[in-house]
Amino acid sequence: MKERLLSLLLVGLMGASLVGCGGATEGGSAGGDAGKTIRLVNGKIEVDSQLKKLAEMYEKETGVHVEIESMGGGIDIQGELKAYYQSDNMPDIFVCGGAADFDNWDGLLQDMSDQEWVKDTDAAFTNDEGVVGFPYTTEAVGLAYNADILNAAGVDPATITGPESMRKAFETIDAKKDELGLTAVIGYYAEPVNLYWSTGNHLFGTYLDSGLDREDRTYIDMLNDGGKIDDARFAAFADMVELFNEYADQSLLVSGTYDQQILNFASGKYAFVTQGSWIGATMTGDDADAYAEAHNFECGMIPYAFEEGMDTILTNSPSWWAVYKDGNVAEAEAFLQWMAGDEAQKVLVMEAGFISPYKSCTYVANDPFAGTISSYTAAGKTSAWHWLEMTDGYSQNYTGQVFADFASGTLSKDEFIETFKQVTENAYAQ
Amino acid sequence: MNKVNKKSLSLVILAAGCFGIISALIMDIMGADNSFRGELLIVGVIAFLGGLYLYPTQKHHKGIINFIFLFPLLFCFAVTVIIPFGLGLFYSTTDWNGIRLTRFVGLDNYKAMFTEISFLWSLIITVLFVVINMIAVNVIGLALAVLCTSKIRGVGFFRAAYFIPNLIGGIVLGYIWQFVFNNVVLNWTLQLFDYNSSMLSKYNTAFLAIVIVYIWQYAGYIMMIYITGLTTVPSDVIEAASIDGATAVQTFFRIKLPMIASTITICTFLTLQSAFKQFDVNMALTNGTGSVHFMGQYLTNGSQMLALNIYNTAITKNSYALGQAKAVLFFIILSIVSIIQVRVSNKREVEM
Repeated sequence: MKERLLSLLLVGLMGASLVGCGGATEGGSAGGDAGKTIRLVNGKIEVDSQLKKLAEMYEKETGVHVEIESMGGGIDIQGELKAYYQSDNMPDIFVCGGAADFDNWDGLLQDMSDQEWVKDTDAAFTNDEGVVGFPYTTEAVGLAYNADILNAAGVDPATITGPESMRKAFETIDAKKDELGLTAVIGYYAEPVNLYWSTGNHLFGTYLDSGLDREDRTYIDMLNDGGKIDDARFAAFADMVELFNEYADQSLLVSGTYDQQILNFASGKYAFVTQGSWIGATMTGDDADAYAEAHNFECGMIPYAFEEGMDTILTNSPSWWAVYKDGNVAEAEAFLQWMAGDEAQKVLVMEAGFISPYKSCTYVANDPFAGTISSYTAAGKTSAWHWLEMTDGYSQNYTGQVFADFASGTLSKDEFIETFKQVTENAYAQ
Repeated sequence: MNKVNKKSLSLVILAAGCFGIISALIMDIMGADNSFRGELLIVGVIAFLGGLYLYPTQKHHKGIINFIFLFPLLFCFAVTVIIPFGLGLFYSTTDWNGIRLTRFVGLDNYKAMFTEISFLWSLIITVLFVVINMIAVNVIGLALAVLCTSKIRGVGFFRAAYFIPNLIGGIVLGYIWQFVFNNVVLNWTLQLFDYNSSMLSKYNTAFLAIVIVYIWQYAGYIMMIYITGLTTVPSDVIEAASIDGATAVQTFFRIKLPMIASTITICTFLTLQSAFKQFDVNMALTNGTGSVHFMGQYLTNGSQMLALNIYNTAITKNSYALGQAKAVLFFIILSIVSIIQVRVSNKREVEM
């Protein structure tokens, strides 16, 4: 009988501990139901601390706790979100990077067209379900240059308006490379493993949009119609890439990392770099020492003018925040409205270095590229980022490699064009 | 307590347990918000097991006890292996994209998989990788083991040094070697041959790079197993051989090697399986890049092994169902390997 008692006791103990475990997990997810907590999945890990600061400010003001969960650095955020969805652990606000992402969540996102902030911006993401994406920053893709070097070489960036003038400028700078202390004319990296997005998305994005109106969808529609590429335009684009290959830093062209690219540009070793406005934050942050040593030179951007007369840079919201329909909608919407307001914009612009997509925002970031972007925007010389609508995995699994092969010389220009078309067809055949 | 009472009590507990389990499951499937359903399920299960335990029977008593003891293990196995496997089979016949499914496509995913040339390429290089590594890792591992059991100085240090790469995670290792190949080896080739691309940018050299890193990581581990095997070879046999005038080479091939035959079997299958499942080093080192012309097509996944191909199909190309179908094939291949392994080692054990 004693044994039996003991065993019953053990069963009870085991049961109690199981219930304890169960209770703990339930308690964890029940936090969302309390009504005073919202969770935000942020895709820009570099502004994690600023967002946490904003969340604290918001909690002080309204008593609503905002949990910031930052992802980045090579994590596939959409994959991660899908795992959350499967485990019934969806955040109330999460990041979406473009049409394909929004399509995935079709029917699960809150239409925010009745919100105040919508009237204050042109950059909201809208589809047939309404306004589903909250914009929080603007980024620009253009050919970034070091104004000091161009000055010293006697090249006026305003004269680079087409392929001939671009080649001439490159030749002029290349001739004076040694006295200017340059390693190469342009910091163009075509490494396929970690930098595929730079070539496959941003550089190729100029083929889709350079010189076009924001609303012009000619080339993205062609591409999304089974992977069609316009021959004449792409040939001109390939000429530009060939020029970049020729004047790039040969030892890092096919193997360099993002960090090396920005550091070398910030140290004044390249006159141009094929990265967008986001490098400003790195130059004044991580690379501040090198940048200071290069006398904090002025930066600017010129259009990727692979055809004569292309005069726009590509600006867009790089991603948006969407509100999950079954989450804590009211609190999430209130938080986003607050984020679009003056107090939050000040932190986002002045501390996180964002370029505000909101018209009422008057702050200008202390960023090397902020001035350039504002002047292009004011002149109406901007094009959209239609590459956000390309098929999933197109640059990572297909075109990044083709750019790398072209750079390493495995493919000639004609082969590059032909191969590019072939992989595009493959990518769209799936 | 008499028997009838006891019987009815246990039946009541059993019924309550069943009711708890079923109602908790129904609540979960219907998506009810009652947060106590987890507790209800657990209490139900415990009541059910308790009822079983108390049930007064001589005939089935042993069976019931066995079941109760096996239950936690069976439950974990079902939740983590059996159920996901069933779901996986189910999803592979749909157009699931990770969020929702709209229709059933039957065997279309399986057909699409075999007409996808890049997948066939991944399959071929995975097999190639497995064969190369199975031989190379075992030969090198055995050679190191022989060295580390000989009477050289600092054997302990060498053993540890060869084993340490195995303790570093594959992702970290991949990034370390990526740095080596991109910054060190590249400089050599640039200076010596004026060759500006790194080893990792061409599919054939990238493949070689993965093989090198894999051997570097795994040979030390295999060496440890061989060392254990070699030290179990009785010294009297070796002594007898040396008295008979056998050279070191003869002793190794005629005495030691046959004596550690079972270790060789174990190591062969260990390397075979782990090479098949190669993922982390592959992902960190090349992420599958490298271009190759294969069956009249230009492919961009020249160094992408099977596991990475599955991952990329599902995650970056956003077709979870197709990735799942590939995973099913992967499972079949691995289970065939495992079954052969079990057969072979059983046979050997009988012989010994």
